[in-house]
Amino acid sequence: MDFVILSIVMLGIGIYGLLTNRQLLKVFISVELIATAATLNFVMLVTSAGQGLGQAFLLLAFSTDTAVSAVILALLVVVSKRYGTSNITEILQKVGKNESEVEE
Amino acid sequence: MILEILSVGLIISACLALFLDEIEASVTALAGTFLFTALLYALNGAVFAAIFQFAIGVGTLAILFLSGEMLSDKPKTRSSPAKIGALLGGGVFLSLPAIFLSIPGSNSQTFMATDNSFGDSLWNLNGLDVVLQALVVLTVALGIAIILYTRKKGGQ
Repeated sequence: MDFVILSIVMLGIGIYGLLTNRQLLKVFISVELIATAATLNFVMLVTSAGQGLGQAFLLLAFSTDTAVSAVILALLVVVSKRYGTSNITEILQKVGKNESEVEE
Repeated sequence: MILEILSVGLIISACLALFLDEIEASVTALAGTFLFTALLYALNGAVFAAIFQFAIGVGTLAILFLSGEMLSDKPKTRSSPAKIGALLGGGVFLSLPAIFLSIPGSNSQTFMATDNSFGDSLWNLNGLDVVLQALVVLTVALGIAIILYTRKKGGQ
């Protein structure tokens, strides 16, 4: 059982989801999976070495993860309210339409 | 054996969270991902990390359920049983390398066998405080430099 490979697989799944999903909430879930993969790797390395210090540093990683989640969620809500959809393709179309109207 | 089962469950729930059509089902699968991660932490002796992971996961899931109901468009079709089966199979397949393969030298004893002098220097000698203060000062200095440069450029 190798937790490095497990976290690499999790990271790969998260990056694939980040690149292929067109729903904003799915993109958020992908970012959560990537953060979970990074934390998993860190925790498993530190705990198998038997050092409690790593768990103390882990609090910092969790705080950063939570702050990133909050910022992403706030952006997601703002974009969804502004453009009326959570589909990235439709949002990009509306942004392009607005820009062409401004240029005209 | 229990760790392998939890790893398979972790990968399967991650796949389901990303590729199911209904957002409620995705968030439920993400709850499974957080739960399996917390259990893996706890079984490896990182109890504090498991507790924090569980607490943060519960908060994230509550917000995701609410925002999923509010913001997401309803999917036109539900996920078919064939798609769910394919996701389960893909999850099992993706978790096989973590169970049967290993990277040479990837266990932490070989990484950290010497001593924890880096941790000691950071923790006992207040090196961590100095490093963090230096980061804050550097960030402030960079911000001030950028603001001054922008004002100077705007003035010209």
